[in-house]
Amino acid sequence: MIDADERALMEKSVHAAIADARSADEHADVDAVLARLGWREMLADQPGDAIAVVFSALGATNAMATALDDVLLSALGWEPSAGLAVLLPRFAGWEPPGRIEAGAVRAQGLATARAGAGDVLVMCGAPSEPWSVAMPAASAESRPLRGIDSEAGLRSVRVQGSAQGAARVDPEAWSAALALGRRAVAHQIAGASRAMLDLACAHAKERVQFGRPIARFQAVRHRLAEALVAVEALDAALAAARETPGPETAALAKAVAGRTARAVTAHCQQVLAGIGFTAEHPFHRFLKRTFVLEGLFGSADEIAVDVGRRLLATRRVPTLIEL
Amino acid sequence: MAFSKTGLSDSRAASGLAEYRGELQAWLDAKRAELAPRHDPPWTLDERVAQMQRVKSILFDAGWMQLGWPERVGGRGGSPMLRTELGAALAARDLADPGLFSLIEVLAPTLIDFARPELAAEVVPRLLSGTELWCQGFSEPDSGSDLASLRCRAVPDGGDARAASAWVIDGQKVWTSLAQYSDRCVLLTRTGPLDSRHRGITAFFVDMDAPGITVRPLEMINGEREFAEVFFDGVVVPADRMLGELNGGWAVAMSILPYERSSCFWQKVAFLYQRLGRLVELAPSDDRAAEVVGNAYLQLHALRARSRATQHRLAETGTLGAETSIDKVLVATAEQATYDAVRRLLSGMVEMDDSAAAEMWRSEYLYSRAATIYGGTAEVQRNIIARRLLGLGSDE
Repeated sequence: MIDADERALMEKSVHAAIADARSADEHADVDAVLARLGWREMLADQPGDAIAVVFSALGATNAMATALDDVLLSALGWEPSAGLAVLLPRFAGWEPPGRIEAGAVRAQGLATARAGAGDVLVMCGAPSEPWSVAMPAASAESRPLRGIDSEAGLRSVRVQGSAQGAARVDPEAWSAALALGRRAVAHQIAGASRAMLDLACAHAKERVQFGRPIARFQAVRHRLAEALVAVEALDAALAAARETPGPETAALAKAVAGRTARAVTAHCQQVLAGIGFTAEHPFHRFLKRTFVLEGLFGSADEIAVDVGRRLLATRRVPTLIEL
Repeated sequence: MAFSKTGLSDSRAASGLAEYRGELQAWLDAKRAELAPRHDPPWTLDERVAQMQRVKSILFDAGWMQLGWPERVGGRGGSPMLRTELGAALAARDLADPGLFSLIEVLAPTLIDFARPELAAEVVPRLLSGTELWCQGFSEPDSGSDLASLRCRAVPDGGDARAASAWVIDGQKVWTSLAQYSDRCVLLTRTGPLDSRHRGITAFFVDMDAPGITVRPLEMINGEREFAEVFFDGVVVPADRMLGELNGGWAVAMSILPYERSSCFWQKVAFLYQRLGRLVELAPSDDRAAEVVGNAYLQLHALRARSRATQHRLAETGTLGAETSIDKVLVATAEQATYDAVRRLLSGMVEMDDSAAAEMWRSEYLYSRAATIYGGTAEVQRNIIARRLLGLGSDE
């Protein structure tokens, strides 16, 4: 694991590379930028740090890439490849999206833009007994999702075809993939949340009403302070997931991310007021992106209920992290 | 005990800390019967204070209390994180009230850093061993969040501040925890002009049995009397009981913050996990309960993660600053969320139940409402966050 300063430096350079590419061309291929920066090598080498650096930068720049496929593939023991997408669970859920019946695979879920052309790896069955099968592009019916954020690049995918070649997956590998996927999305939300807070603070310092910057009004200051508390809580939960990796710390980080996104979007939107309500200001892109990211691998609400059920079933409250 | 001094100053020493934790847990297991409170909750404040002092004295005799404190005050050295682990272990087992136990963290370091070395060496072991209790005389009726406006006056006996062999104190303090049980008080007084704010404050270490001190316990919202008003009427304090420099009391007050915001919070977090554990034993098993418990757990986890990072930053850099206002907001919010969960899931327990268990929950629920008030209100923390962390400038 690299130290915090190194990580911040790397994040800065990834951030700058993505921002430069997009300022030259709004539709720049962010995956190509990441490839140039050595994303896949770093993912193989230091998955926790690679995910933290790259997904924070994606969130902060509001860019979308297909790097999530690489995260899941490598955790599931596949070589990441531009020609292979992973079918993601339904919005707000985290069960494997497919099932195998009578020798056939049926699946419905979300996917990155990679699923538009490439093959699709489909996870099937119960989390305790998962299977995977790589389905040819021809068996996938896929359409781009507009939703609230058409720029998110997500697709709705339905897969149907022969289950030939399906293989058992170690439940631990599926659990590890889910955990890394959750951490990746939570980092992306963290990057976006900090970006929204920066926008709102900048606006509060510039916008003058009643003869002074609105940042001088306590009602405004307290909202922004609350937003920072939420952002810092998420950073702490993500650090805990990196230092004490496991399905529990990753699930909690993703749930905290959802809570943080809600607090930050609400406070910042109110502070940005009129300008934040227009499509001319970038705020709306971040707000919409976090709405979409909240639904990947479980929303805060669904994870909280799931975690709560486990606490009640075991009648124990594990501390998970120690000094 | 095998465990003695370790230089646990960075994360590489985490394995040493884990080893210490293991030894401590084993020892606490072995001494379970001896350490356990004399009966089930609810405990009166008298009983909680007596239990804490008894536990401290057992731990002191076995050498645990001295770990993490410097040798020049009778400690055994090592990282302050050892103290934090000890307080957290006691809280997690409900052996000592963390709010009372962790007062050590805001009192002993003041003596170590600001008292004459001989005085610190004499009195700190008495605090650690449970021989004495101390209190902190900071807040006043007209100085709550705005501590720098305090007015309790200290004047040099004879009029010359540099030559005086004693100081005379007149004024009033309020919200002084455990004043009625205390042998000593770390007191902030006004020694400069009234409008000198933080530049005219001096700290003293005052014996609570000195003539002229009157303690009047305040009944709190939960019926207990943990806080008191303390009146000073011509109280004479020897000059060698001054802590720090003349008019240097603000530095003394501020030096407490890193301890209060690290070790004390970690102990509180351990206690809140323990209470959430009690709640999940009693709560119904339906989906509503799962949601409420799950959400409280989320908040506790984020707080624990934050507090852990804060302890390590303190150990590595030796200092903490305005960023601990984030910790303060998180700990207050999580504490209230935990007891809100209790109130929602144990229907009627807080409001209508007269069982012994209900008395504990009711008392703690009501006490938890103070979490956003004491130690700097939630609003003051947000002001600090806005100015110091977000760079939003002054609000004036």
